[in-house]
Amino acid sequence: MSDTLSTLAALGRFGAFGARISWTTLRLGWSLREVIHHIGQLVSRCVVPVVAVVLPAGMVLALQGGTVFALFGAQRLLSSLVSVATFRELAPVLASVLVAAQGGSSIAAELGAMRIREEIDAIEVMAVDPIGLHVVPRILAAIVATPILTLIGALGGVCGGWLVATVILGEPGGLYWANLWDLTRPMDLWGGLIKSSVFGGIIGVVAAFHGFHAHGGAAGVGHAVNDTVVTAITAFIIANYLLTSALFGAGA
Amino acid sequence: MTTLGLDRVGAFGLFVARAATSSVQHPPPIGDVIHESWRIGWRALPILITISFFVGTNLAIQGYASFRPLGGTELLGMFVALAGVRELAPIMVAAMVAAKAGTEMASQIAVMRTKEQIDALEVMAVDPYAWLVAPRFLGIVIVLPALTVVSIFTLIGSAWLVTVYQLGENGVHFLTLVAQTTTGLDLIVCMVKAALFGVMISLVSCFFGFTSQPGPKGVGAATNAAVVVSAVACAIANYLVSQAVYG
Repeated sequence: MSDTLSTLAALGRFGAFGARISWTTLRLGWSLREVIHHIGQLVSRCVVPVVAVVLPAGMVLALQGGTVFALFGAQRLLSSLVSVATFRELAPVLASVLVAAQGGSSIAAELGAMRIREEIDAIEVMAVDPIGLHVVPRILAAIVATPILTLIGALGGVCGGWLVATVILGEPGGLYWANLWDLTRPMDLWGGLIKSSVFGGIIGVVAAFHGFHAHGGAAGVGHAVNDTVVTAITAFIIANYLLTSALFGAGA
Repeated sequence: MTTLGLDRVGAFGLFVARAATSSVQHPPPIGDVIHESWRIGWRALPILITISFFVGTNLAIQGYASFRPLGGTELLGMFVALAGVRELAPIMVAAMVAAKAGTEMASQIAVMRTKEQIDALEVMAVDPYAWLVAPRFLGIVIVLPALTVVSIFTLIGSAWLVTVYQLGENGVHFLTLVAQTTTGLDLIVCMVKAALFGVMISLVSCFFGFTSQPGPKGVGAATNAAVVVSAVACAIANYLVSQAVYG
Protein backbone atom coordinates (compact mmCIF):
# COMPACT_ATOMS: atom_id res chain seq x y z
CA MET A 1 0.00 0.00 0.00
CA SER A 2 2.75 2.44 0.91
CA ASP A 3 4.54 1.40 -2.28
CA THR A 4 1.54 2.48 -4.32
CA LEU A 5 1.29 5.70 -2.36
CA SER A 6 4.95 6.54 -2.87
CA THR A 7 4.67 5.80 -6.59
CA LEU A 8 1.64 8.06 -6.83
CA ALA A 9 3.49 10.72 -4.85
CA ALA A 10 6.44 10.47 -7.26
CA LEU A 11 4.09 10.78 -10.24
CA GLY A 12 2.48 13.81 -8.65
CA ARG A 13 5.87 15.39 -8.05
CA PHE A 14 6.78 14.70 -11.66
CA GLY A 15 3.57 16.34 -12.85
CA ALA A 16 4.15 19.41 -10.70
CA PHE A 17 7.74 19.59 -11.92
CA GLY A 18 6.59 19.31 -15.53
CA ALA A 19 4.08 22.09 -15.01
CA ARG A 20 6.77 24.36 -13.51
CA ILE A 21 9.13 23.64 -16.42
CA SER A 22 6.45 24.27 -19.03
CA TRP A 23 5.35 27.54 -17.49
CA THR A 24 8.93 28.79 -17.11
CA THR A 25 9.68 27.85 -20.72
CA LEU A 26 6.59 29.58 -22.08
CA ARG A 27 7.10 32.83 -20.17
CA LEU A 28 10.72 32.89 -21.42
CA GLY A 29 12.27 32.85 -17.95
CA TRP A 30 15.47 31.40 -19.38
CA SER A 31 18.39 32.85 -21.33
CA LEU A 32 19.32 31.80 -24.86
CA ARG A 33 23.01 32.12 -24.05
CA GLU A 34 22.70 29.43 -21.37
CA VAL A 35 20.91 27.14 -23.81
CA ILE A 36 23.62 27.56 -26.44
CA HIS A 37 26.32 26.96 -23.81
CA HIS A 38 24.66 23.71 -22.77
CA ILE A 39 24.14 22.61 -26.38
CA GLY A 40 27.86 23.03 -26.95
CA GLN A 41 28.71 21.08 -23.82
CA LEU A 42 26.27 18.27 -24.61
CA VAL A 43 27.39 17.86 -28.21
CA SER A 44 31.09 17.98 -27.39
CA ARG A 45 30.70 15.45 -24.57
CA CYS A 46 28.51 13.01 -26.47
CA VAL A 47 29.81 13.12 -30.04
CA VAL A 48 32.67 10.65 -29.56
CA PRO A 49 30.60 7.97 -27.78
CA VAL A 50 27.72 8.37 -30.25
CA VAL A 51 29.96 7.85 -33.28
CA ALA A 52 31.86 5.06 -31.48
CA VAL A 53 28.59 3.13 -31.01
CA VAL A 54 26.65 3.91 -34.22
CA LEU A 55 29.61 3.25 -36.53
CA PRO A 56 30.09 -0.39 -35.43
CA ALA A 57 26.30 -0.81 -35.54
CA GLY A 58 26.35 0.32 -39.18
CA MET A 59 29.20 -2.09 -39.82
CA VAL A 60 27.24 -5.00 -38.32
CA LEU A 61 24.18 -3.99 -40.33
CA ALA A 62 26.15 -4.01 -43.58
CA LEU A 63 27.80 -7.31 -42.67
CA GLN A 64 24.55 -9.14 -41.93
CA GLY A 65 22.63 -7.45 -44.72
CA GLY A 66 25.39 -8.08 -47.24
CA THR A 67 25.49 -11.79 -46.43
CA VAL A 68 21.72 -12.11 -46.89
CA PHE A 69 21.57 -9.93 -50.02
CA ALA A 70 24.34 -11.99 -51.62
CA LEU A 71 21.89 -14.94 -51.55
CA PHE A 72 19.45 -12.94 -53.69
CA GLY A 73 22.07 -11.24 -55.83
CA ALA A 74 20.93 -7.85 -54.57
CA GLN A 75 24.28 -6.50 -53.33
CA ARG A 76 23.54 -3.25 -55.11
CA LEU A 77 20.80 -2.48 -52.60
CA LEU A 78 23.05 -2.88 -49.57
CA SER A 79 23.78 0.84 -49.15
CA SER A 80 20.08 1.68 -49.32
CA LEU A 81 19.36 -0.86 -46.60
CA VAL A 82 22.08 0.56 -44.39
CA SER A 83 21.00 4.15 -44.90
CA VAL A 84 17.26 3.52 -44.41
CA ALA A 85 17.75 1.41 -41.30
CA THR A 86 20.32 3.84 -39.87
CA PHE A 87 18.29 7.01 -40.49
CA ARG A 88 14.98 5.53 -39.34
CA GLU A 89 15.89 3.45 -36.28
CA LEU A 90 19.53 2.76 -35.55
CA ALA A 91 20.85 6.31 -35.33
CA PRO A 92 17.97 7.85 -33.33
CA VAL A 93 17.74 4.99 -30.83
CA LEU A 94 21.45 4.33 -30.33
CA ALA A 95 22.37 8.03 -30.25
CA SER A 96 19.61 8.63 -27.71
CA VAL A 97 20.81 5.72 -25.57
CA LEU A 98 24.26 7.29 -25.53
CA VAL A 99 22.87 10.77 -24.88
CA ALA A 100 20.88 9.34 -21.96
CA ALA A 101 23.95 7.56 -20.65
CA GLN A 102 26.36 10.48 -21.09
CA GLY A 103 24.34 13.68 -21.33
CA GLY A 104 21.41 12.61 -19.16
CA SER A 105 23.68 11.31 -16.44
CA SER A 106 25.79 14.47 -16.48
CA ILE A 107 22.64 16.64 -16.24
CA ALA A 108 21.39 14.53 -13.33
CA ALA A 109 24.83 14.53 -11.66
CA GLU A 110 25.25 18.31 -12.01
CA LEU A 111 21.79 19.13 -10.69
CA GLY A 112 22.06 16.45 -8.01
CA ALA A 113 25.42 17.77 -6.80
CA MET A 114 23.92 21.29 -6.72
CA ARG A 115 20.99 20.01 -4.68
CA ILE A 116 23.27 18.11 -2.26
CA ARG A 117 25.53 21.15 -1.75
CA GLU A 118 22.35 23.22 -1.07
CA GLU A 119 23.25 25.48 -3.99
CA ILE A 120 19.67 25.33 -5.32
CA ASP A 121 18.30 26.43 -1.94
CA ALA A 122 20.82 29.28 -1.89
CA ILE A 123 19.66 30.43 -5.32
CA GLU A 124 16.02 30.32 -4.23
CA VAL A 125 16.89 32.41 -1.15
CA MET A 126 18.35 35.03 -3.51
CA ALA A 127 14.96 35.13 -5.35
CA VAL A 128 16.44 33.65 -8.54
CA ASP A 129 14.35 30.91 -10.14
CA PRO A 130 16.50 27.74 -10.22
CA ILE A 131 14.18 26.19 -12.82
CA GLY A 132 14.73 29.04 -15.25
CA LEU A 133 18.43 29.36 -14.51
CA HIS A 134 19.53 25.71 -14.46
CA VAL A 135 16.79 23.29 -15.47
CA VAL A 136 15.05 24.73 -18.54
CA PRO A 137 18.27 25.59 -20.47
CA ARG A 138 19.51 22.02 -20.03
CA ILE A 139 16.23 20.53 -21.22
CA LEU A 140 16.06 22.82 -24.27
CA ALA A 141 19.69 22.02 -25.01
CA ALA A 142 18.91 18.28 -24.93
CA ILE A 143 16.00 18.81 -27.36
CA VAL A 144 18.30 20.58 -29.84
CA ALA A 145 21.50 18.61 -29.30
CA THR A 146 20.08 15.09 -29.69
CA PRO A 147 19.06 15.52 -33.36
CA ILE A 148 22.47 17.05 -34.08
CA LEU A 149 24.16 14.05 -32.51
CA THR A 150 21.80 11.68 -34.35
CA LEU A 151 22.77 13.29 -37.64
CA ILE A 152 26.48 12.91 -36.88
CA GLY A 153 25.88 9.35 -35.72
CA ALA A 154 23.90 8.54 -38.88
CA LEU A 155 26.81 9.78 -40.96
CA GLY A 156 29.09 7.53 -38.94
CA GLY A 157 26.77 4.56 -39.40
CA VAL A 158 26.62 4.97 -43.17
CA CYS A 159 30.41 5.30 -43.32
CA GLY A 160 30.71 2.16 -41.22
CA GLY A 161 28.54 0.38 -43.73
CA TRP A 162 30.81 1.65 -46.50
CA LEU A 163 33.87 0.30 -44.65
CA VAL A 164 32.41 -3.18 -44.44
CA ALA A 165 31.02 -3.12 -47.97
CA THR A 166 34.33 -2.15 -49.54
CA VAL A 167 36.93 -3.80 -47.33
CA ILE A 168 35.16 -6.96 -46.15
CA LEU A 169 32.59 -7.66 -48.85
CA GLY A 170 34.65 -6.35 -51.74
CA GLU A 171 32.01 -4.10 -53.26
CA PRO A 172 33.24 -1.14 -55.33
CA GLY A 173 33.03 2.04 -53.25
CA GLY A 174 31.35 3.99 -56.03
CA LEU A 175 28.56 1.41 -56.20
CA TYR A 176 27.88 1.93 -52.51
CA TRP A 177 27.63 5.71 -52.64
CA ALA A 178 25.79 5.80 -55.96
CA ASN A 179 22.96 3.60 -54.75
CA LEU A 180 22.66 5.18 -51.31
CA TRP A 181 19.65 7.33 -52.19
CA ASP A 182 17.89 4.71 -54.37
CA LEU A 183 15.36 3.58 -51.80
CA THR A 184 15.89 6.32 -49.22
CA ARG A 185 13.23 8.98 -48.82
CA PRO A 186 13.78 12.41 -47.21
CA MET A 187 11.10 11.46 -44.69
CA ASP A 188 13.38 8.69 -43.42
CA LEU A 189 15.93 11.23 -42.28
CA TRP A 190 13.39 13.81 -41.08
CA GLY A 191 11.41 11.17 -39.20
CA GLY A 192 14.58 10.04 -37.47
CA LEU A 193 15.46 13.61 -36.46
CA ILE A 194 11.94 14.29 -35.15
CA LYS A 195 12.13 11.09 -33.13
CA SER A 196 15.48 12.04 -31.62
CA SER A 197 14.20 15.50 -30.75
CA VAL A 198 11.35 13.93 -28.76
CA PHE A 199 13.79 11.48 -27.17
CA GLY A 200 16.05 14.39 -26.22
CA GLY A 201 13.13 16.10 -24.52
CA ILE A 202 12.32 12.93 -22.58
CA ILE A 203 15.95 12.51 -21.52
CA GLY A 204 16.24 16.14 -20.44
CA VAL A 205 13.05 16.13 -18.38
CA VAL A 206 13.76 12.79 -16.69
CA ALA A 207 17.38 13.74 -15.93
CA ALA A 208 16.41 17.16 -14.58
CA PHE A 209 13.66 15.62 -12.41
CA HIS A 210 15.92 13.02 -10.83
CA GLY A 211 18.80 15.43 -10.34
CA PHE A 212 16.64 18.22 -8.93
CA HIS A 213 15.06 15.89 -6.37
CA ALA A 214 18.22 14.03 -5.34
CA HIS A 215 18.66 13.45 -1.60
CA GLY A 216 20.97 11.54 0.69
CA GLY A 217 24.47 12.79 0.04
CA ALA A 218 26.88 11.37 -2.51
CA ALA A 219 24.99 8.08 -2.68
CA GLY A 220 21.88 10.07 -3.56
CA VAL A 221 23.63 11.49 -6.60
CA GLY A 222 24.59 7.96 -7.64
CA HIS A 223 20.96 6.84 -7.30
CA ALA A 224 19.75 9.86 -9.26
CA VAL A 225 22.12 9.09 -12.12
CA ASN A 226 21.25 5.40 -12.09
CA ASP A 227 17.49 6.03 -12.09
CA THR A 228 17.83 8.66 -14.80
CA VAL A 229 19.58 6.41 -17.29
CA VAL A 230 17.21 3.50 -16.77
CA THR A 231 13.97 5.51 -16.73
CA ALA A 232 14.95 7.66 -19.70
CA ILE A 233 15.91 4.69 -21.88
CA THR A 234 12.73 2.77 -21.00
CA ALA A 235 10.56 5.84 -21.61
CA PHE A 236 11.94 6.65 -25.02
CA ILE A 237 11.93 3.05 -26.20
CA ILE A 238 8.20 3.03 -25.51
CA ALA A 239 7.84 6.44 -27.19
CA ASN A 240 9.84 5.04 -30.11
CA TYR A 241 7.16 2.45 -30.79
CA LEU A 242 4.42 5.11 -30.80
CA LEU A 243 6.40 7.51 -32.98
CA THR A 244 7.43 4.80 -35.44
CA SER A 245 3.83 3.68 -35.84
CA ALA A 246 2.80 7.28 -36.42
CA LEU A 247 5.64 8.36 -38.70
CA PHE A 248 6.46 5.28 -40.73
CA GLY A 249 2.95 3.94 -40.87
CA ALA A 250 1.88 0.43 -40.20
CA GLY A 251 -1.17 -1.57 -41.06
CA ALA A 252 -3.62 -1.11 -43.91
CA MET B 1 50.93 17.69 -22.49
CA THR B 2 48.14 15.14 -22.58
CA THR B 3 48.93 11.48 -22.40
CA LEU B 4 45.83 10.71 -24.50
CA GLY B 5 44.40 8.74 -21.59
CA LEU B 6 46.84 5.92 -22.19
CA ASP B 7 47.71 5.93 -18.51
CA ARG B 8 44.08 5.08 -17.81
CA VAL B 9 44.21 2.19 -20.28
CA GLY B 10 47.31 0.91 -18.51
CA ALA B 11 45.63 1.30 -15.13
CA PHE B 12 42.69 -0.71 -16.45
CA GLY B 13 45.03 -3.47 -17.59
CA LEU B 14 46.64 -3.62 -14.15
CA PHE B 15 43.19 -3.64 -12.55
CA VAL B 16 42.10 -6.61 -14.66
CA ALA B 17 45.32 -8.49 -13.84
CA ARG B 18 44.88 -7.90 -10.09
CA ALA B 19 41.21 -8.85 -10.21
CA ALA B 20 42.06 -12.07 -12.05
CA THR B 21 44.81 -13.08 -9.62
CA SER B 22 42.66 -12.22 -6.59
CA SER B 23 39.73 -14.26 -7.91
CA VAL B 24 42.01 -17.25 -8.27
CA GLN B 25 43.83 -16.81 -4.94
CA HIS B 26 40.73 -15.98 -2.86
CA PRO B 27 37.74 -17.32 -4.75
CA PRO B 28 34.48 -15.80 -3.51
CA PRO B 29 31.95 -18.06 -1.78
CA ILE B 30 29.37 -19.46 -4.20
CA GLY B 31 26.57 -17.90 -2.15
CA ASP B 32 27.94 -14.43 -2.84
CA VAL B 33 28.13 -15.12 -6.57
CA ILE B 34 24.57 -16.41 -6.72
CA HIS B 35 23.39 -13.43 -4.68
CA GLU B 36 25.00 -11.06 -7.17
CA SER B 37 23.53 -12.99 -10.10
CA TRP B 38 20.08 -12.74 -8.56
CA ARG B 39 20.50 -9.05 -7.79
CA ILE B 40 21.66 -8.13 -11.27
CA GLY B 41 19.33 -10.46 -13.17
CA TRP B 42 16.13 -10.19 -11.19
CA ARG B 43 16.26 -6.42 -10.84
CA ALA B 44 16.99 -5.93 -14.54
CA LEU B 45 14.25 -8.33 -15.67
CA PRO B 46 11.16 -6.06 -15.75
CA ILE B 47 12.98 -3.31 -17.60
CA LEU B 48 14.61 -5.77 -19.96
CA ILE B 49 11.25 -7.31 -20.85
CA THR B 50 9.74 -3.88 -21.44
CA ILE B 51 12.55 -2.79 -23.70
CA SER B 52 12.73 -6.06 -25.64
CA PHE B 53 8.97 -5.92 -26.13
CA PHE B 54 9.06 -2.50 -27.74
CA VAL B 55 12.18 -3.19 -29.78
CA GLY B 56 10.45 -6.26 -31.20
CA THR B 57 7.41 -4.21 -32.17
CA ASN B 58 9.60 -1.68 -33.96
CA LEU B 59 11.47 -4.42 -35.76
CA ALA B 60 8.21 -5.79 -37.14
CA ILE B 61 6.88 -2.37 -38.16
CA GLN B 62 10.08 -1.25 -39.88
CA GLY B 63 10.54 -4.60 -41.60
CA TYR B 64 6.99 -4.46 -42.91
CA ALA B 65 7.36 -0.87 -44.09
CA SER B 66 10.59 -1.75 -45.90
CA PHE B 67 9.35 -4.93 -47.53
CA ARG B 68 5.94 -3.70 -48.62
CA PRO B 69 7.13 -1.73 -51.69
CA LEU B 70 9.15 -4.78 -52.77
CA GLY B 71 6.21 -7.14 -52.20
CA GLY B 72 8.11 -9.34 -49.78
CA THR B 73 6.01 -8.98 -46.64
CA GLU B 74 5.83 -12.76 -46.30
CA LEU B 75 9.52 -12.80 -45.41
CA LEU B 76 8.89 -10.70 -42.29
CA GLY B 77 9.53 -13.69 -40.03
CA MET B 78 12.93 -14.22 -41.59
CA PHE B 79 13.85 -10.56 -41.15
CA VAL B 80 12.80 -10.48 -37.50
CA ALA B 81 14.64 -13.70 -36.72
CA LEU B 82 17.86 -12.62 -38.43
CA ALA B 83 18.01 -9.06 -37.17
CA GLY B 84 16.50 -9.71 -33.74
CA VAL B 85 18.22 -12.88 -32.66
CA ARG B 86 21.60 -12.28 -34.23
CA GLU B 87 22.18 -8.65 -33.40
CA LEU B 88 19.48 -6.74 -31.57
CA ALA B 89 18.99 -9.06 -28.60
CA PRO B 90 22.65 -9.04 -27.45
CA ILE B 91 22.98 -5.30 -28.03
CA MET B 92 19.74 -4.46 -26.19
CA VAL B 93 20.67 -6.64 -23.24
CA ALA B 94 24.17 -5.17 -23.14
CA ALA B 95 22.86 -1.60 -23.27
CA MET B 96 20.26 -2.27 -20.58
CA VAL B 97 22.57 -4.09 -18.24
CA ALA B 98 25.31 -1.49 -18.74
CA ALA B 99 22.75 1.19 -17.92
CA LYS B 100 21.27 -0.55 -14.87
CA ALA B 101 23.75 -2.98 -13.35
CA GLY B 102 26.83 -1.16 -14.63
CA THR B 103 25.80 2.14 -13.09
CA GLU B 104 24.85 0.37 -9.84
CA MET B 105 28.23 -1.35 -9.63
CA ALA B 106 30.14 1.81 -10.45
CA SER B 107 28.19 4.04 -8.08
CA GLN B 108 28.22 1.51 -5.19
CA ILE B 109 31.97 1.07 -5.39
CA ALA B 110 32.53 4.81 -5.93
CA VAL B 111 30.49 5.60 -2.80
CA MET B 112 32.55 3.02 -0.91
CA ARG B 113 35.68 4.77 -2.14
CA THR B 114 34.28 8.13 -1.00
CA LYS B 115 33.47 6.77 2.47
CA GLU B 116 36.97 5.17 2.58
CA GLN B 117 35.43 1.74 3.05
CA ILE B 118 37.80 0.19 0.48
CA ASP B 119 40.80 1.51 2.41
CA ALA B 120 39.23 0.04 5.59
CA LEU B 121 38.98 -3.36 3.87
CA GLU B 122 42.65 -3.19 2.92
CA VAL B 123 43.60 -2.27 6.47
CA MET B 124 41.74 -5.36 7.67
CA ALA B 125 43.80 -7.48 5.22
CA VAL B 126 40.66 -8.32 3.19
CA ASP B 127 41.42 -8.29 -0.53
CA PRO B 128 38.97 -5.71 -1.99
CA TYR B 129 39.33 -7.24 -5.47
CA ALA B 130 38.22 -10.66 -4.26
CA TRP B 131 35.53 -9.20 -2.03
CA LEU B 132 34.02 -6.60 -4.38
CA VAL B 133 34.98 -7.35 -7.97
CA ALA B 134 35.01 -11.15 -8.24
CA PRO B 135 31.39 -11.83 -7.13
CA ARG B 136 30.04 -9.15 -9.47
CA PHE B 137 32.17 -10.39 -12.37
CA LEU B 138 31.16 -14.04 -11.96
CA GLY B 139 27.54 -13.18 -11.20
CA ILE B 140 27.03 -11.11 -14.32
CA VAL B 141 28.73 -13.66 -16.61
CA ILE B 142 26.33 -16.33 -15.33
CA VAL B 143 23.15 -14.29 -15.59
CA LEU B 144 23.60 -12.32 -18.81
CA PRO B 145 23.14 -15.25 -21.27
CA ALA B 146 19.94 -16.18 -19.42
CA LEU B 147 18.68 -12.60 -19.74
CA THR B 148 19.45 -12.69 -23.45
CA VAL B 149 17.29 -15.77 -23.93
CA VAL B 150 14.40 -14.03 -22.15
CA SER B 151 14.97 -11.00 -24.35
CA ILE B 152 14.84 -13.08 -27.54
CA PHE B 153 11.55 -14.69 -26.51
CA THR B 154 9.99 -11.34 -25.65
CA LEU B 155 11.24 -9.76 -28.85
CA ILE B 156 9.81 -12.46 -31.09
CA GLY B 157 6.58 -12.53 -29.08
CA SER B 158 5.97 -8.81 -29.43
CA ALA B 159 6.90 -8.90 -33.12
CA TRP B 160 4.32 -11.68 -33.56
CA LEU B 161 1.69 -9.59 -31.74
CA VAL B 162 2.34 -6.61 -33.99
CA THR B 163 2.40 -8.79 -37.11
CA VAL B 164 -0.95 -10.37 -36.35
CA TYR B 165 -2.90 -7.53 -34.73
CA GLN B 166 -1.43 -4.36 -36.16
CA LEU B 167 -0.16 -5.41 -39.59
CA GLY B 168 -2.72 -8.12 -40.33
CA GLU B 169 -0.29 -10.75 -41.59
CA ASN B 170 -0.42 -14.52 -41.03
CA GLY B 171 0.91 -15.31 -37.54
CA VAL B 172 1.54 -19.01 -38.10
CA HIS B 173 3.54 -18.29 -41.25
CA PHE B 174 5.54 -15.71 -39.31
CA LEU B 175 6.44 -18.11 -36.52
CA THR B 176 7.27 -20.89 -38.96
CA LEU B 177 9.75 -18.65 -40.76
CA VAL B 178 11.26 -17.57 -37.45
CA ALA B 179 11.77 -21.18 -36.40
CA GLN B 180 13.24 -22.08 -39.78
CA THR B 181 15.65 -19.15 -39.94
CA THR B 182 17.07 -19.36 -36.44
CA THR B 183 19.84 -21.90 -36.15
CA GLY B 184 21.41 -23.37 -33.01
CA LEU B 185 24.59 -21.53 -33.94
CA ASP B 186 22.72 -18.21 -33.79
CA LEU B 187 21.53 -18.89 -30.25
CA ILE B 188 24.91 -20.10 -29.04
CA VAL B 189 26.69 -17.08 -30.54
CA CYS B 190 24.07 -14.84 -28.93
CA MET B 191 24.80 -16.26 -25.50
CA VAL B 192 28.56 -16.16 -26.00
CA LYS B 193 28.28 -12.49 -27.00
CA ALA B 194 26.20 -11.84 -23.88
CA ALA B 195 28.79 -13.48 -21.63
CA LEU B 196 31.54 -11.44 -23.31
CA PHE B 197 29.56 -8.22 -22.78
CA GLY B 198 29.09 -9.19 -19.13
CA VAL B 199 32.84 -9.54 -18.69
CA MET B 200 33.46 -6.11 -20.20
CA ILE B 201 30.62 -4.31 -18.39
CA SER B 202 31.56 -5.65 -14.95
CA LEU B 203 35.30 -5.02 -15.30
CA VAL B 204 34.87 -1.52 -16.73
CA SER B 205 32.24 -0.48 -14.16
CA CYS B 206 34.22 -1.82 -11.21
CA PHE B 207 37.35 -0.13 -12.53
CA PHE B 208 35.68 3.28 -12.75
CA GLY B 209 34.18 2.79 -9.31
CA PHE B 210 37.54 1.83 -7.79
CA THR B 211 39.42 4.75 -9.32
CA SER B 212 36.77 7.41 -8.75
CA GLN B 213 37.49 10.82 -7.26
CA PRO B 214 35.93 11.33 -3.81
CA GLY B 215 32.75 13.32 -3.34
CA PRO B 216 29.38 13.42 -5.10
CA LYS B 217 30.94 14.79 -8.27
CA GLY B 218 33.35 11.87 -8.41
CA VAL B 219 30.51 9.38 -7.98
CA GLY B 220 28.57 11.00 -10.82
CA ALA B 221 31.62 11.10 -13.07
CA ALA B 222 32.47 7.45 -12.38
CA THR B 223 28.92 6.29 -13.09
CA ASN B 224 28.83 8.34 -16.27
CA ALA B 225 32.16 7.02 -17.57
CA ALA B 226 31.25 3.42 -16.70
CA VAL B 227 28.12 3.41 -18.84
CA VAL B 228 29.67 5.14 -21.83
CA VAL B 229 32.86 3.09 -21.98
CA SER B 230 30.90 -0.16 -21.45
CA ALA B 231 28.49 0.72 -24.26
CA VAL B 232 31.26 1.60 -26.70
CA ALA B 233 33.27 -1.51 -25.81
CA CYS B 234 30.20 -3.73 -26.26
CA ALA B 235 29.38 -2.17 -29.64
CA ILE B 236 32.88 -2.78 -30.95
CA ALA B 237 33.05 -6.29 -29.51
CA ASN B 238 29.66 -7.06 -31.08
CA TYR B 239 31.01 -6.17 -34.51
CA LEU B 240 34.17 -8.22 -34.04
CA VAL B 241 32.28 -11.33 -32.92
CA SER B 242 29.76 -10.97 -35.77
CA GLN B 243 32.59 -10.55 -38.26
CA ALA B 244 34.34 -13.63 -36.93
CA VAL B 245 31.25 -15.84 -36.97
CA TYR B 246 29.22 -14.55 -39.91
CA GLY B 247 31.84 -12.77 -42.02
